[in-house]
Amino acid sequence: MVGSLNAYIKKQVFQAPDFKITWLAVLAFAPQFFAFYLPATREWMPDLLVAMILVTSQVLLLAFAYLNRKLVGMWVLIGGLVLNLAVISVNGGFMPISPETASHLVPAALVQSMPLESRFGKSKDILLLPENTHLEWLADRLIAPQWFPLQVAYSVGDILIATGAFWMLAHQPLKKESL
Amino acid sequence: MKNKLPQLFVFSQKIDRKKIQMIFAILALAMLVLGAGAPAIGGGVIG
Repeated sequence: MVGSLNAYIKKQVFQAPDFKITWLAVLAFAPQFFAFYLPATREWMPDLLVAMILVTSQVLLLAFAYLNRKLVGMWVLIGGLVLNLAVISVNGGFMPISPETASHLVPAALVQSMPLESRFGKSKDILLLPENTHLEWLADRLIAPQWFPLQVAYSVGDILIATGAFWMLAHQPLKKESL
Repeated sequence: MKNKLPQLFVFSQKIDRKKIQMIFAILALAMLVLGAGAPAIGGGVIG
């Protein structure tokens, strides 16, 4: 939206990012779609398989991002991806979240009923005490402000990923309008 | 009119191709962001 507005103000045409090997992004993301987003498949997938899928998928996405590193903002996005991949890899293939942070997202009683080191629902997160978390500062430990309509816990890596994507769309090279 | 028609056809094809490229690029970026990021939103526990 910002990119389109920028192009409109400058009376030029917004150009979408010119990705190379787009099929790799599809190939990398597809397993995550089945593991986390599609209810019919995510219900029966064992946690070990899901952890393997998440790490493999992020490695492939890292390859895709690196091959497109010349795009504006991509290095910031790669930085976020590397941080997330690092913390996920050293914590059993899932993103750690503390019970305290999780209780900001769902009722505290529900969090207490979940055993530690178990997955937080069917998300990418695993419930871990901060003292048992490797690279805890990279975990999902930040909370959206109370006034924000969507309560969400995110990591430093997520901030970099969102910044990189925003930067990429907002600062795409523009082209002059032509027939 | 005869000249305009093919021009219009070429123009419409150009627009469609650009739109399709745009959709694919936005989809690729969405997949990259969704796949690389890991924010917890209720953990699929609620909602």
